[in-house]
Amino acid sequence: MTGPASYYLAIKISNTEFQMKMEDMPLSGPDNTRLEALVHDIYSELVEDACLGLCFEVHRAVKQGYFFLDETDQESMKEFEIVDQPGVDIFGQVYNQWKNKECECPNCKRLIAASRFAPHLEKCLGMGRNSSRIANRRLASNNNMSKSESDQEDNDDLNDNDWSYGAEKKAKKRKSDKNQNSPRRSKSLKHKNGELGSSVSSEPYKFNYNTGISYETLGPDEVRSLLTTQCGVISEHTKKMCTRSQRCPQHTDEQRRAVRVFLLGPSAPALPDADAVVESDSFDIPDGQTLMSRLQWEDSPDISPTDSASSKASTNHSDSRRPKKKKRPSLGLNSGGGGGGGGGSGGLAGGSSSSSSSQSNINLSTKKKRPKLSAPSISSIYDDLN
Amino acid sequence: MSKDSQMRAAINQKLIEMGERERLKELLRAKLVECGWKDQLKAHCKDVIREKGLEHVTVEDLVTEVTPKGRALVPDSVKKELLQRIRAFLAQHVTL
Repeated sequence: MTGPASYYLAIKISNTEFQMKMEDMPLSGPDNTRLEALVHDIYSELVEDACLGLCFEVHRAVKQGYFFLDETDQESMKEFEIVDQPGVDIFGQVYNQWKNKECECPNCKRLIAASRFAPHLEKCLGMGRNSSRIANRRLASNNNMSKSESDQEDNDDLNDNDWSYGAEKKAKKRKSDKNQNSPRRSKSLKHKNGELGSSVSSEPYKFNYNTGISYETLGPDEVRSLLTTQCGVISEHTKKMCTRSQRCPQHTDEQRRAVRVFLLGPSAPALPDADAVVESDSFDIPDGQTLMSRLQWEDSPDISPTDSASSKASTNHSDSRRPKKKKRPSLGLNSGGGGGGGGGSGGLAGGSSSSSSSQSNINLSTKKKRPKLSAPSISSIYDDLN
Repeated sequence: MSKDSQMRAAINQKLIEMGERERLKELLRAKLVECGWKDQLKAHCKDVIREKGLEHVTVEDLVTEVTPKGRALVPDSVKKELLQRIRAFLAQHVTL
């Protein structure tokens, strides 16, 4: 027999071979051996199937002409042989080859490590996402620095705070919370206690989050200064003082008064709602009219659109400087307006509170200016004290 | 004799009906490819073909050349696992 029939016969024969073998086994043997034999047979059949499958596949490939397609001339085969050496991948390339190489930057002509090359280019050429952000920040801080320096020669401390605080602030993104956690507030506090500023600014990336201050960590002076600018009402859950303005809607004046009594003793100065406690007029404290002028003056920088919180904050910083100079000549204009603040730090609370009370008389459009104003008034008070 | 063959036939039938045979076949094929058995055997095929001449190769030739070698080349681990599975199947589904 030739041709196709012979194929099938060959296959059939091999199969019957097995069967005959099986039938030769003694039936009287234990079931186990029979079972084992059965298992082996099944296994052999499966392997046979696999082999046959392969044969058919190869045969078809040969007859259809694609069996030897993956082979080329001997030279190319040698060239692209799989490499199996240690330290080298299958193409023969070394893994860490480019790690230690240095590239010359086309811009600045420096030799930069290969892995740092891309980020360096980004900054060097001024393209890419990060570089614009950094540039904006730098501009903001430079503005900050130059403005503050040009304004104040006598406030080295504040300038220092400004600089470091501004650097810190840059890392944060403050949006609508700027009024409540105004940089000036923390800055004036930082003047007294460096940790305080950092504790406030340690809540960096929470937008619209009212950071609180724990009153236990503050000394009496800091408490007083805090209370003159901020609401200060201690939250029940967190035991922290509210850092919003004196007019913050979350707490009533009664609460504020209670807190002041609690923290500063019964002799604590009165709150905005109460009649202004006039302790003495001997200090140069901004009165209602000065405040009004300052308000109007501050109006524009505040409203002016700025794209980054930091630059806005920096203008606020600079704003805090200028009013101080303006204030002095215009003193004594309207002593009856809000009453002068008291002498000493105890009077500060009264002073700012009275000034804020005078602010309450001013039209509502200036509402948001108030918190900022109270800060400059305080810093000016400090100046006078110093 | 016939009892034996009957039993075998019955078992085979059960294997096929329950789809276990197909599963076992696929499992075996996958394992053989994984362990390189297929490539080895293919290389052997190439030799046979080159020997016999490309035009004159028959299935018969391939079968007779390849099968014994293939049976021998199956790695032990694969063999053991397959035997294990068959035994498990028999134990579960066949009452003797």
